[in-house]
Amino acid sequence: MGGCVVRSVGGVAEQIEVMDLGTMPYEEAMKVQSRVLEKKIKGETRDTLIMVEHLPVLTLGRLSKKNSIIDERYFRERGIPVVNAGRGGKITFHSTGQLVLYPIVDLGARKKDISFYIDFLEKCVVRALVRFRVPAERCNGRRGVWVSGRKIAFTGIGVKRWVTYHGVSVNINNDPEAFSKMHPCGESDIKVTTAKEVLGKELDMSIVRKVFEEEFISALGSEYGAKTQPAVFIK
Amino acid sequence: MELRLPELSGTKGEIVLTLWRVKESEYVTEGQDILEVVTDKATFDIPAPCGGKLVGIRKKEGERASVNEILAEIMET
Repeated sequence: MGGCVVRSVGGVAEQIEVMDLGTMPYEEAMKVQSRVLEKKIKGETRDTLIMVEHLPVLTLGRLSKKNSIIDERYFRERGIPVVNAGRGGKITFHSTGQLVLYPIVDLGARKKDISFYIDFLEKCVVRALVRFRVPAERCNGRRGVWVSGRKIAFTGIGVKRWVTYHGVSVNINNDPEAFSKMHPCGESDIKVTTAKEVLGKELDMSIVRKVFEEEFISALGSEYGAKTQPAVFIK
Repeated sequence: MELRLPELSGTKGEIVLTLWRVKESEYVTEGQDILEVVTDKATFDIPAPCGGKLVGIRKKEGERASVNEILAEIMET
């Protein structure tokens, strides 16, 4: 498992902390997130982007339904824990090879609009994936990020004193099999994919983290407005 | 003072009460998180607008609410 690397990025006008937790169990990462959230609420730290890969875990959002797990035995035999996450959304699955972003952002200092913020998160994910030539897109009326009708990224956030926590998980190199053993996001008709499946090759996760960091900070710094610069494609 | 559901989003969406963190007749401090609501993909903690006794809860967990709707009252101390 990786350690925690914290960097400050950005210009003079706005600095953002980037906290890379490497690979970390979900509950341990939640403790880190809670500490950063409380500091941010008190005004003791900057906006922070936490990035992490989790060990296998099923997390339940506030709107999860009990029948969302199709094959409980699959998860039990693998020792995969089920954790209640204090976030919106329903059930989802995390594992290594999936990049999870937990932005701790003060919307009170920006724009007090939760839907706008989730839109912004999804746009960042689309722009980052496109740089790897993954034809990602948002779907009108459905949350998340999609590739040819298959879901590749999942959103679920929390907001306290208008400071965000939780965020978005993006399937990169992870094995999507577990998603077929549940109803992702509580919906029975969702098919799931990964960047590796779309491209036919694994991506270097260190480069993936770098690109997601760049796109997130770029959009945040421009007050959510997506810049009209052409995408820089990753070879 | 009335505890009203604030506007959370520029788009209209269903808002459901998920967790009263404080029981009726308990005392709260200004800014204390007392109610969690959820909209689609987000949970939101509503803080107490003032210190006092939480009374007159009008909505239960699991019920829907609209923006600006009165959810409870706080008897200021």
